[in-house]
Amino acid sequence: MISLTSPVKTRAHRWPAGVKLAGLCAATVGLFFIESLAVHAGILCVIAAVYASAGPLFFKTGLRQLRLIWVFIAIVALWHIWTGDVATGGTVILRLISALALANLVTMTTRLTDMIDVVRVLTAPLKRLGLNPAALEMAIALVIRLTPVLAQKGGNLTQAWRARSPRRPKWQILLPFTVLALDDADHVAEALRARGGFTPMKED
Amino acid sequence: MTRNPADPVQIALSNLCFAVEGKQILRGITHDISAKRTGIVGRNGSGKSTLARLISGLVPPTSGTALVNSHDLSQDRKQALIDVGILFQNPDQQIIFPTVREEISFGLRQLGHPKARAEEMTQATLVAFGKSHWIDAHVHSLSQGQKHLVCLMAIVAMAPKLIILDEPFTGLDIPTKAQLTRALAQYHGSLLHITHDPADLAGYDQVIWLEAGQVAQTGDAPAVLNAYVDAMTAIGGTDDIADITS
Repeated sequence: MISLTSPVKTRAHRWPAGVKLAGLCAATVGLFFIESLAVHAGILCVIAAVYASAGPLFFKTGLRQLRLIWVFIAIVALWHIWTGDVATGGTVILRLISALALANLVTMTTRLTDMIDVVRVLTAPLKRLGLNPAALEMAIALVIRLTPVLAQKGGNLTQAWRARSPRRPKWQILLPFTVLALDDADHVAEALRARGGFTPMKED
Repeated sequence: MTRNPADPVQIALSNLCFAVEGKQILRGITHDISAKRTGIVGRNGSGKSTLARLISGLVPPTSGTALVNSHDLSQDRKQALIDVGILFQNPDQQIIFPTVREEISFGLRQLGHPKARAEEMTQATLVAFGKSHWIDAHVHSLSQGQKHLVCLMAIVAMAPKLIILDEPFTGLDIPTKAQLTRALAQYHGSLLHITHDPADLAGYDQVIWLEAGQVAQTGDAPAVLNAYVDAMTAIGGTDDIADITS
């Protein structure tokens, strides 16, 4: 499941989203200038301590998000073992984990509306190029909201297939899944239109 | 024209037709609705949902007009937000935002309320429903019945003069249905409730019975519902499920 704002309240929940995102940017860039494996290990320990300070539940949720990148970690690890440059491999992997953990920390402590407010400020100059910021904001919210819904629909289709076939479905459910997703999109578009679409009645 | 907000909404349907790719869904419906609690019954495919979409202005009619308090809502979408809220059958196709707070405040922001005011109104709505602890709940973690209630609260928060219910209770268990019905009964505005189950319309004033895109019967709820149930029971004894129409 996609990481969302954590219900476990931390002090960071009250910090402005813009500051957190800017800090994340700076920290991530900073990670690329550090070459020492020991320093990277130290940084990761500090991040882990920050997670732990918000309680065991928060720590576990954060840890679960790291599963997203284990494939990349495995590839990087194998490559560096192959080339014999294990120290560099370790640095890259620790840097990757730290960057993801920090980004996830911001996600877990920031409400989507606040995140979207930052996007609105950042994309304001693009208005002149014809971009509708409201559409972009909505797209972000919809992806987060509907990804688990679509995953469940895909699961239902797989079950419907397996209920009548001894084999597992492969590419065959792609087309029906696409049709389902398009049908859902129609309905959501209608629900959106029922509440005013992309254009609020007036700006505040 | 000034109206008392407690007055029922006036819905005027005049020779209302709707066709998709040449297939007639609604065939010239002319009817005025001015009751606080109106039900629309009919079989699957009788055009109930299409009528709901036409009245709420989500789709324009092929010909004829559907006016709510003299407004054509398919043309005037800003007015539509003030006049009509619609509750769909599947909450997963209605809820746009990942948390309860964001879902409820979205419609209020759309109405033009500033962010802080929308936040206050969101909290007030949750308090009114006795669900203030839901504010930061993730939609994904809610049960199906709870999602339905979020949809209802999001619409009630916008305080439209009319709420259209498009079979919102399908697939819900009896207690959940009873709880949602109770929440709906308290709504100060008008309700237009589409269903194929007469039990959903207990205590309603008027009922419109649709059959193949036309009005089969209208009038006081008990009389129409009795006739409807008799007709449906009679058809149930036949095998018209075998008919295939092109």
